[in-house]
Amino acid sequence: MSAFAVLAVGIVAHTLTRLVPLPHMSVLFLAAVITSAALWGLGPSLFAAVLSVAGGSYFFYSPIYSFDVASSQDIADLAMFLLVAALTSRLADGVRRQAREIADARVKVQGEALREALINSVSHDLQTPLASILGAATTLETLGEHGDQRARRDLAATIREEAERLASYIGNVLDLTRIRAGQLAPRLELVELADIVNGALRRKEKALAGHVLRVDLPPDLPMLRLDLFLMEHAVANVLDNAAKYSPAGSEVSIVASVQNGEVVLEIADRGSGIRAEDRERVFDSFYRGDAHAGGPPAGTGLGLAICRAFVEANGGSATVFSPGPGHGACVRLCLPVQAGAHQTAVAAK
Amino acid sequence: MTAARPQVLVVDDEPQIRKFLRLGLESHGYAVLEAATADAALRAAVAAQPELVVLDLGLPDREGFEVLGALREWSRVPVIVLSVRSREDEKVRAFELGADDYVVKPFGMAELLARIKTALRRRVEGEAPMPVFRVGALEVDLVRRLVRVDGAEVRLSPKQYRLLQILVTHAGKVVTHRQLLNDIWGAAHRDDVQYLRVFIRKLRSRLEADPARPRYLLTELGVGYRLRSPDQLAGPP
Repeated sequence: MSAFAVLAVGIVAHTLTRLVPLPHMSVLFLAAVITSAALWGLGPSLFAAVLSVAGGSYFFYSPIYSFDVASSQDIADLAMFLLVAALTSRLADGVRRQAREIADARVKVQGEALREALINSVSHDLQTPLASILGAATTLETLGEHGDQRARRDLAATIREEAERLASYIGNVLDLTRIRAGQLAPRLELVELADIVNGALRRKEKALAGHVLRVDLPPDLPMLRLDLFLMEHAVANVLDNAAKYSPAGSEVSIVASVQNGEVVLEIADRGSGIRAEDRERVFDSFYRGDAHAGGPPAGTGLGLAICRAFVEANGGSATVFSPGPGHGACVRLCLPVQAGAHQTAVAAK
Repeated sequence: MTAARPQVLVVDDEPQIRKFLRLGLESHGYAVLEAATADAALRAAVAAQPELVVLDLGLPDREGFEVLGALREWSRVPVIVLSVRSREDEKVRAFELGADDYVVKPFGMAELLARIKTALRRRVEGEAPMPVFRVGALEVDLVRRLVRVDGAEVRLSPKQYRLLQILVTHAGKVVTHRQLLNDIWGAAHRDDVQYLRVFIRKLRSRLEADPARPRYLLTELGVGYRLRSPDQLAGPP
């Protein structure tokens, strides 16, 4: 690298040779030395210094095209260049180290903020169902043999519902830690979007039981190269949100289409919708929507954050739009269609 | 008489899980045997010859997979794997070792009971294979090699029919990608899952009213395919 810098300066110097008086030529080479020192550190800059003096002596100072050290000025140049190289690279090292420390500190602060948010989320969202489970179970115990059948069934149903809630939270937190731990290497394979959507629908059957589903997946959609697990989770999380943020009995629509060479999956609800200024924030970890009447429904605030991370890991994008509060929200997942997908499909005929 | 009550061997090292499985199964007419280790499970399976085995994968002495493998060397008893491991490759491994079903913990008792019922029924049917398989509007006559939907004959290519035939003979049970590929295209193609996806797509377009939302031919993501048995079509998927 530093050799290239010196070479570049040499070429510039050569073209300027007629315009610039020779004694100032060394200043140009100094630029190469300083650049090397600032960008690449001590070793390359010392190399640049030596190369500059040698090159200068060979090409520019008489006798031209020889390494003869013409005067003590060359020696002085060399000493000066080496000094500048050493000083600059030291300074640059210091600056670089500081920048790295600042970046590390920022990651650490983000990590701590995340940890704190996670602990808050855990303490509230995980304790609540646990409290219900423990409460219902101990009540069931105290009923003994005399409790009436309906009370028993009610308590048992409470235990089941709250345990299911707990299971879904834990699933989300585990998904998130997978992302943070950097294990998110998608296993891409050729898949049908319909399989992914149907898998997600099956997984969220209970949550969507009170809604009217409209599914429109054209039969001729191209196959996609995706990670099944990640995409099914991403779609399931969007469905979960749609069910949670829209009233029972309203429609949830799932529509796929091909637009500009991408497969676009749009999942829309008829719920409370999203304000324009919150359209990005809904993808933040632990963002839970704000206190529209009665506050946000129970949840970890991780669903869409996980969804976006998973979709992006598959080379796609996740966005949300809404005609405005009260008019429902539509999450749009854009997934790339790869050229290879169609060819493989043809080959298998 | 205990003979009328089907005997289920429950293999799990967690006493709490064994306890609620015993309560739930006994109250639904099953007799329950328990084993907490792989060795105890294999001994109990030999001694008691249960009608069905519920098998946890994480056992203290050996992997549940080993129990399954050892069991399959001499027995065709239905095995339902019960595990906290939800990864697709674990499921594939279990199915390829001969598991009949795979239930991920945590699970609800109602679901497990439904799966047990299906596995037991399939065993009875498997002993006397029916010449005509029917589910919903789909009818497959295995003797005359005829496929009908709503009474109208559907023409399939030989490979498409072979695929359907394999799924019919395992109706209600997951057949892994590899098993299907191996049977239809041979061992050289057993990892070419995309072949299979294309064939399934075609088969669905001929058999399903809405191929994008199949009622009969279900995808088990990352694992394989399952043709719903009549009782699965009636109940939850």
